[in-house]
Amino acid sequence: MSDVTLDEVKKRAQAAGLTLREDRLEMVRRLLTDALAPLRKTDSRAVQAIEPAVTFDATGGGTADGT
Amino acid sequence: MARDDLHYASIRDLGQRFRERKLSPVELTTALLERIEALEPKLHTFVTVTAERALADAKAAEAALGRGDTRPLLGIPVGYKDLYFTRGIKTTAGSALLENWVPTTDATCVTRLQDAGCVMLGKLITHEFAWGIQTPEHRFKPARNPWNLDHIPGGSSSGSGAALAAGLCVGALGSDTGGSIRGPASFSGIVGLKPTYGRCSRAGVVTLSWTLDHTGPMARTVEDCAYLLQALAGHDPADPASSRAPVSDYVTPLGASVRGFKIGVPARDFFLEGADPEVARAFEQALQTLQTLGADVRDVPLPHIWDSPSFMVIMASEAFAYHERDVRERPEMYGDLLRERLVHGGLYTSAEYVQAMRLRERLRREMLGVLGTVDLLATPTSPKPAPTFATMYDTSLGFPRSNTPPFNISGLPALALPCGFSTRGLPLSLQLAGRPFDEATVLRAGHAYERATEWHTRRPPV
Repeated sequence: MSDVTLDEVKKRAQAAGLTLREDRLEMVRRLLTDALAPLRKTDSRAVQAIEPAVTFDATGGGTADGT
Repeated sequence: MARDDLHYASIRDLGQRFRERKLSPVELTTALLERIEALEPKLHTFVTVTAERALADAKAAEAALGRGDTRPLLGIPVGYKDLYFTRGIKTTAGSALLENWVPTTDATCVTRLQDAGCVMLGKLITHEFAWGIQTPEHRFKPARNPWNLDHIPGGSSSGSGAALAAGLCVGALGSDTGGSIRGPASFSGIVGLKPTYGRCSRAGVVTLSWTLDHTGPMARTVEDCAYLLQALAGHDPADPASSRAPVSDYVTPLGASVRGFKIGVPARDFFLEGADPEVARAFEQALQTLQTLGADVRDVPLPHIWDSPSFMVIMASEAFAYHERDVRERPEMYGDLLRERLVHGGLYTSAEYVQAMRLRERLRREMLGVLGTVDLLATPTSPKPAPTFATMYDTSLGFPRSNTPPFNISGLPALALPCGFSTRGLPLSLQLAGRPFDEATVLRAGHAYERATEWHTRRPPV
């Protein structure tokens, strides 16, 4: 697991075509570091087969058209 | 009825007085409008006070009472977080971008409370677009905590929490993407319920994050929350995530014993990490109280809880998707803090979003597995009491830690209720979470705890 660096924040912003205020770079670096820490310590291929898929549940789910 | 009793009366008490003709909805509404006028200069809880509408609603309620109408919310004055659409009434989302926007429809939740007979007092300030606390130069002033004006009342349903604590309304609507109902409940010393994802409609509520947004009630007691939920819950075809799960009776089971309830205390190392000692002490005392009431309290493992900070990848990415055009084309219309938070949401990769959703599902399954062995989970709502405004403005301190996002990730119902006070007089809060669509059990346990304690009866020095 590695922290996000200020240089990485700047590169990500450049790639996204977004501008960050210089005095907020550290705040954003901390946000990215904390949020990405669980992902960076996880080998995604080793995670049990879980997909971010839509599920349909007869009691708890349902869609707008009632299906 | 003395004025102070009137301002802090419960829905049940008020309804009884209405029906005994000892109080009228117009008298109550007038008293609350006077209190709002007196306290608003220091609390800043309302963006818009709808006094004429409130009195018209109160007169209609009075007429209905005269016809023998016995609906429990008839004549009950409420406020709506200014994220909820209100037809013909400004809905700002706490943002300069929507400063003068007037919707042509009501949010479904607003319609349901108005149809139940509630009186609309006005629109309550929210953190900007439910995520950006108002800094001193912001277009809107931030709501202040009635327990100590130097502290935040929590957010993003900041006006809802502060107004309830100050006795300015009887009930309120909040929204909760990462804790925005339960955080203000915790910091303001009131009760807030984030129902199961899909239980209450999000139609007509400004989006922060589609897969994490929840709507729900806020009040001063668990029973009042139950009354409000009873009116709010149910399928809404206008909300794609709305559930068709049957709506339970939330009010009648209140008062029943919790003897034999199994209450799990998950991952103390996570939920008490960095906790203020007073929070930890109040939490342990709350667990003891629940044990005294007959609950079986036990520790339960939740190893993947440490993945929950990846919640921010999901929330920020979805928020950026919602705001991208305005953030790129009109960045000056956003407050400084929110703009940078939104921009940061544009820095995650698509692969990171997908991985965060996979970790989310793994944690959700784990939580459901634990709830196969216990009826409820208990944690402190917040690891610390309400911070000061100065602390919140200091972005070098990072995003404040909260115990609420795991229940947005999982969609499980979670209730925040008072469980003590710090030595500085700031409220402390207990969080109880349950199985999907089992709000009735969550409320029943919360009500049993509330009846055994006196924290909810204390009033702030305003």
